[in-house]
This record gives sequence, structure tokens and C-alpha cells, in this order.
Amino acid sequence: MSQIGLDHPQQKSAMLNEATIRWSLWLGSKLLRGLSLLCGASFIIYATLRSAPGDMVDLILGLNGTPEMKADLRAEFGLDLNIIEGYGRWAWRALSGDLGISITFMPGEPVLSLAGPAFLVTLSIAVVSLLCSIAVAYGLAILLGPPRPRQAFLLGPIQLLNAAPSFVVAICLAKVINELIQFQLAGGGQIPPSWYPIPTYQKITDSIAPFCFAALSISLGDGLFTDLFNALRAELMSLNESLFISAVRAKGAAVRKHLIKNLIVPTLSVFTARLPLVLSAVVIVEYIFTLDGSGYLLLQAAKNRDVPVVVGVSLFFIFAVIVMNLILDLVKALVDPREVAKGD
Amino acid sequence: MSEQTLVDVQDLVIEFDTPKGRVRVVDGVSFSVSPGEVLGILGESGSGKTMSTQAILGLIGGYPGVMGGQINLNDQGVTYELLKDLPSFISERRGQPEKNERAWRKHRYAQMKKLWGRAITSIFQNPRRSLDPLMTVGQQVKESIQARESHKDALERLNDQAQTEEALEWLAKVQMVDPARVYHSYPHELSGGMCQRAMIAVALACKPSILVADEPTTGLDATVRAQIVHLLQDLIKAEQCAMLYITHDIREMLYLADRVIVMRHGKVLEQVSANDLKEHALERHEYTQVLLDAAGMIGAHDE
Amino acid sequence: MTGQSTGQSTRQSTWYSTWYSTWHSAWKEQPLSFKLSSIIVVLVLCFGVINPFISYDPVLDVELSRRDLAPSWEYWMGTDGQGRSVALRLFKGIEAFFFPGLIAGLFAAFVGGVLGALCGYFGGWIGRSLSAVLELIDTLPRMVFLVLICTIFPPSILLISIISSVLFIPSIATIIRRKVEALGAEDYILAHVAHGFHPLKIISYHILWLQCRALLTRQMIFVFSYVLFIETALSYLGDYGVQEPYPSWGNMVAQSRISAVAWPWALPALAIIITIAALLAFGDGIARREEEVKR
Ligand SMILES: Nc1ncnc2c1ncn2[C@@H]1O[C@H](COP(=O)(O)OP(=O)(O)OP(=O)(O)O)[C@@H](O)[C@H]1O
Ligand SMILES: [Mg+2]
Repeated sequence: MSQIGLDHPQQKSAMLNEATIRWSLWLGSKLLRGLSLLCGASFIIYATLRSAPGDMVDLILGLNGTPEMKADLRAEFGLDLNIIEGYGRWAWRALSGDLGISITFMPGEPVLSLAGPAFLVTLSIAVVSLLCSIAVAYGLAILLGPPRPRQAFLLGPIQLLNAAPSFVVAICLAKVINELIQFQLAGGGQIPPSWYPIPTYQKITDSIAPFCFAALSISLGDGLFTDLFNALRAELMSLNESLFISAVRAKGAAVRKHLIKNLIVPTLSVFTARLPLVLSAVVIVEYIFTLDGSGYLLLQAAKNRDVPVVVGVSLFFIFAVIVMNLILDLVKALVDPREVAKGD
Repeated sequence: MSEQTLVDVQDLVIEFDTPKGRVRVVDGVSFSVSPGEVLGILGESGSGKTMSTQAILGLIGGYPGVMGGQINLNDQGVTYELLKDLPSFISERRGQPEKNERAWRKHRYAQMKKLWGRAITSIFQNPRRSLDPLMTVGQQVKESIQARESHKDALERLNDQAQTEEALEWLAKVQMVDPARVYHSYPHELSGGMCQRAMIAVALACKPSILVADEPTTGLDATVRAQIVHLLQDLIKAEQCAMLYITHDIREMLYLADRVIVMRHGKVLEQVSANDLKEHALERHEYTQVLLDAAGMIGAHDE
Repeated sequence: MTGQSTGQSTRQSTWYSTWYSTWHSAWKEQPLSFKLSSIIVVLVLCFGVINPFISYDPVLDVELSRRDLAPSWEYWMGTDGQGRSVALRLFKGIEAFFFPGLIAGLFAAFVGGVLGALCGYFGGWIGRSLSAVLELIDTLPRMVFLVLICTIFPPSILLISIISSVLFIPSIATIIRRKVEALGAEDYILAHVAHGFHPLKIISYHILWLQCRALLTRQMIFVFSYVLFIETALSYLGDYGVQEPYPSWGNMVAQSRISAVAWPWALPALAIIITIAALLAFGDGIARREEEVKR
């Protein structure tokens, strides 16, 4: 027995080494890819800025810009240099944490201190609504089991949700809540949007109800829920019919562990595909419920044509998409060994 | 059902709904297996061999599946009538019998829960798809052992270390070259033949009293094939286990099986002992002769 | 029509007669959801096409004496807070997304299809660099990027629709690429290559037209519904889409969401949901049908 024992030290360490190398290669390539995506996407933003019609500085500052303000702005965006050098300068400043200064919307405020905390709010809404959605979709998919003719009354509305934009869901929710319990939800439209100078986490606890409703409408709207539900259900069914689950049954072991593990990967794929849409939805829904996250900040700044703030928030969004995709990939690879083996 | 039979199948009917309507893929199949006996099932592709055997395990996917018949399974002297309650799950709708599949499966799984693995288990036909892709092969063999041990008293159970070692032993027994390495490999890292052997190890580690072996040697090269056949023979001798053996290879069948049933289009054409098949080939059913002929077991002049 | 098709069937079957007969027989087998959705899609198409020919002056329509009227024979979807007919505005609101949506859908399907086919067919160096660029575009958060564009450039619905179609090209191209890669391994495509067909012909006819058209139609419809969505969303937000007093479904919802009665905001909201649902179901139905025909 001993010659094939598991704790043969040499063999074990060799195997460990090989796995480590494969993993670090995989992680390195993923990181590199994320980094290049970040560079590329921020370059697209910069190029868009450069291609603005007319002189961008005049456009931003309007008539009341002093010459030195203009010079500042030029330096910030590297407008005097050619596009590559300008991008280099701008990206370097952005990397070192200097995203510029708000001009028209909150004059003098550094963009980072506006967009950073606001983004935390956005991120927490996005994550909460994703988790919410998946929990309900999971539960319902397991509860309903394989499709049967008599479920149409339930499935029809779920499929219809696929077509409901989250802002419509949000409005309906706000309306219904306002009607039913005379609860003054900010988003009903009665209260004009107010803007707090610096968004803080304190604000979330103040506005816990709008936060919940925002998360709810995002998780139901835009087809997020429907997509997850359909994907999970299809996957659950094909798993239930799959040979290896039968094989697990046939040997008398419990199937639940296998089912859950095998469901994680398709769920993550839906997540990855849906992430940009969810972030888009957060922008509008925050606005409806006047939650002071970065969506709200973005739209207010855009209204005031405050380009540095808009650009700063956009960069945050891009960064978030890339980082979240990396995390999802990592989780997927941890669950499914085939991901790492595939390599790139 | 006599004391001697382990499993007894009578008039089994299996149907499936297809776009072209309902088709009957198994039509009144009957057979039985006694302890220690190897029953071979022979037949062309699509003749319903897999379906007939999986019906005993209650693992038929697709709708409506088993629609009639009796299956009696003997486990340690107790006989379970597996299809006794079937009629109460079938009702008439639009002139066609329909089955409450969900409730039936629930009922069936509850029935089989204590029998799977211990009384009966199966080597599945498609080895690659029968292993969980997200779990190491060793873990899956170990799971069989765990499931088997969970039926025992707490005092008699093997501890974790012993289970791991036994899993390794099984991997070695099915002729894996480097068991310790295979133990930590995922199915996608193994070749088809290695998956096949892993699947055999998973099934054998259950130590069942009846083993369904559904083409366990298809896809293996000739030398490994011979090894696996010998291995199966040794193991059923050692464990006193009965076997339902399905294969397309008649020579293999004649070597292993005590009795052979020949199936075609969902029906049993005939039931013969292996000896008769070998020695009195010309007295067999026409179709059996065709099969034998195709394998070169009868000279062409006999036709 | 039936007489004609039976008369001709012995001699020839032109593409439209086979098309007609297959679709006619197929119509009866379709599920209810597909029938309903295609009726709605056809209605939207008709309304969209006749829209420009019907003049509507949103300022003249204001009549404060008849505000918030309930639906009746005269105003059969009621009137809004300024006394304008909701039905008429709903009808005119189609214009806001119809042509931009069509343009965006066609553009995205065409460019995405071609790029996807090129990536999938050639693979290698060209394919990899193309898909890198596509992946780059895919990381841009759509809504945020659109807002950025609207801040920098003067917002116009055409610009919005073009940008959103560009943002959709990567996902379409990826779908087509997968399909083409799968097809590329098929024997009959290899046989075409071996027969010496020109790659352009194989890509455009054998792959894109014969194999991917249902997929592309479905994606086109999806982009159309996205433009409807984005237009309503941006109009709802106020500054970027169609401006008051001109109607768009989004700004109708936004305008009336504080009104005391339900119909001025609920009906446009319902229209948005039903139209998008119908478009999606229609696209799915077409794709499903094509699959069935192939089998
Ligand atoms: N889920 C299903 N739905 C419809 N038909 C099915 C289903 N499963 C099996 N069948 C049909 O049942 C018939 C018998 O299948 P079975 O798997 O028992 O054949 P087999 O004898 O094991 O063939 P092989 O030697 O190829 O394994 C086949 O014709 C198959 O098409
Ligand atoms: Mg079979």
C-alpha cells in the first residue's frame, strides 16, 4: 500500500509545483488582460474627449473662464500635447489619484473625493441587487422544478419582467408604495431631488428604504431576474437529467453537493454577462430614488456639463467592471478546474 | 419470485414522447437474475438494453419512461416491489395515458434511497459524462465508499484515512498506471479509457449485490479490455455479486455470461445459456444467428 | 393566393412561394405568445411607418380645461396634466425610437455579423486582434458612456442610436464568431473550402446568410428594443432624449409621474413593457422556428 500512498513527499511536492505554476500563469494572464483593458478603455474615453467639437476648454468653462483656469485645464487633460503623450500625462495623473477638480457642479471639490464615496454606494446597490436576484431566482427555480403546463400563470409575468426596464419597475414600485402606505418615498417625484455636498455612508442608513427599493427594482428589472431564472432553471433541469447526477444517485451518495457546485458556473456566467447592464440600471434608478451614489452624481454633473466629474465617474465604472469580471473569473476558476486548464 | 432470484423483471414497458408521437422503446421485457449469476444482454444499438436496466435503478430520464410491468428487487432477504404503486401515478388524458412524472420520481427516489449503491449500482455507458467534472476522481471513488460505510454501524465504519486508502486501492485494481496522480486528477485531465476505468472503480467500490455493467469495455483498447473483463470476473467471484452485463462484443459475452438474452426493437427475442449459444448456434433465433454471423462465430456457409 | 401557389408548385417553387407556404402552415403551429407578439410588432411597424405623415402640434394640443380626463370615446386613453390626448401622444412617441432603432439595429447586425464572421473564419492574428478591440468596447459601461457622449457632444437621438449600436457590436460579433467557429469545423464547410469556393462567398452566403440569419435577425430586434429602452430612459432623465413638448414614451412617463391620475404615466409605461416584450418574444420565436426547420 505504501508505494501508492498519498503522502509520498516527492510526488506530492511535484504535483503542488505544477499546480502553482499553472495557477500563477493563469492569474498573471488575467491580470495583464485586465490592465490592458483598463488602458484601452480609458484611452477610448480620452480620445472621445479630444474629439469634442470646438475647443473643449471653452466648452467646459463657458464664458466665465479666466485664462489661468483654462491653462490649468489644458495641462490637466494634456491638450497641448499630441494624443498619445496627452493620454500618457492624463493617465499618469489619474493613476496617482488626481482626477481633477469639479468645475461647475461642485466648484473646487476634487473629483476623487466626490466620485469615490459615491461609487461605494453604487457598488453596494449593484451587489445587493445581484444577490437579491440570484437568491429569489434560485429559490423559485428549485420550487417550480421542471416546466409544467399549469405554471403559465406564474411564468408569463416572469417572462414579461424581461421587458420591463428597471426605471419603469422603479416608478411603479414608488407609485404603489406611495399609494398603499402613504409612505413618502423620495422617488415618487414629490420631493425635488436634493443633493448632499459629500455623499457618505451615513446617508445610506438615512435612506434605507429607498436603498432597498432601488435594489429591488434593479434586481427585478431589465431582465436580470428573468435571465437568471431561465438560466438556472435550464441548468437545473439539464443537470437533473445528466448522466453524472444519475451516477451519483446510483452509488447511493447525496446529490445536493454536486448540484450546487455545478450550478455555480452558469450563474457566474449570467453575472458576467449582466454586470454592465446592472451598472447602467443603477445610474437611472439612483436618480429616481435620489440616492446619492455615482449614478446620481454622474447625471447631475452631466446636466451642469462638468466634464471632469463625468470622466472621473466613468473611469470608476470601467475600473469596477474590469475588477468585478476578474473576481468572477477567479471564483469560476476556483470552482471549475477546466477554466485554468484552458489557459489563454 | 423465488428465493433464488435477486432481481425479477416482468413485462416491462417503457415509452417516450418524441416529436413524432409516443414510441414504445421497451415492450414487455422479462428477465431475472439469481445470486452470483451473470446475465448478458445482447442486441443492436437502440434496442432498449440501457433503458431496461436503468428502469431497475429508477434512473430513466425523459417522459414518460416506465409505463407498466413489475420489478422485484431482493435485498438481504427482503423483496421490494418497485413498480407496485405505478398505476396510481398514471391517469388518462385525451385518450392517452399520462404520468405524474414529478411525483413518480420523488416516490421512486425515496424507494431507491436505501438500495442504491448497496443492493444495486451501475457502470454507466458514457464514462466521460458519468463523472462529475468539478470533482477529483479520487473524491468520487471515495464518495462511493463513504456512501457504503454510512449504512453500517458507527463502530464498524472505516475512518477517513482508511477510506482514502481504499479509494487508492480501487484505482490500482482497475489498472490505473499512477493511482496517486489519478486520485487528484479531474475527469477532463484523463483519457476516455481512464475515465471508463475510474467509472468502474466508482461502481465497484460500492460493493453492490447486483452490478449493472453497461458496455464497460467500449472505447478501451484490446489489452485493457481483456484486463477489465478479467477484473470484473475476479471481482464478482470474490464479492459474490450478480451482474447484468451489456456489450456488443459477443466473444466477451460468451466468456463472462452464464445466460444471455437477445433483444431487438424493445422485445426479448430469446433467452439461452451461454453454452447453447456457443455450441448450438444454428438452433438459435434468426436474428441471433445474424449477430453471431456478424461476429464471425458461424461460417458463411451456414446461411 | 392559395390557388396561385398550388398552380405553380408543380412547375417551380420561387423563394417567396415556399416562404409563403412554409410560413402559412407554420403560423398555425406557433405558440400563442409568438402570434401575439408578431401582431404587436407588425402594429408598431405600421404605426412607425405612417407616423411621419401625420402632423401633430404638441403646443396646439394643450388645453387646460380638459386635463386629467378619464379614458372615454373621444380620448380613449384619457388626457394628461395639460389636457393632451394620451393616445395621440403615445402614437406620435413611436417616432422617437422607430427610425433610430431601425438604423441602429441594421447597423449593429451588419457590422457585428461581418466582424464576427471574419474573426471566426480567419482566426489567427486578424481574429485575435479584432476580438481584442471588440472586448475593449464591451468593457465600456453602456449607459455611462452614452451620458459621457451626451455631455461632450450636442445630444441627438441619431448620435445616441449609433453609439448604442456600436456598443452592441461586440456582443453580436461574439455570438456570430462562436457560431462560425462551430461551423468551421463542420465537414460541409470544409468541403466548400476544398472545392475552391471563394472565402468571401462562403462567409457571406453559406455562413452568414444560410446559417446566421435568424440569429442576426434576433440580435437586430434586440438592439432595436435596446434603443427603445435607452431612448425612453434618456428622455426620462430629461436632458438628452426627446424634449418636451414633443412626446416620447420616456418623457411621457417622466412628465406625468407626479400626476394625480394613473393613465398618463401608466399607459406609456405599459406600452414600453409590452413593446419590448413583444419584440423579444418575436425575435426568440423567429430563432426557434429556424432551428426547428433545420431539424
Ligand atoms: N429520453 C429519451 N427520449 C426519447 N427517446 C429515448 C430517450 N432515451 C432513450 N430513447 C430511445 O430509446 C431507445 C432505446 O435506447 P437504449 O439507450 O436503451 O438503447 P441501447 O440498446 O442501450 O443502445 P446502445 O447499444 O447504443 O447503448 C432508443 O431508440 C432511443 O432513441
Ligand atoms: Mg446503451
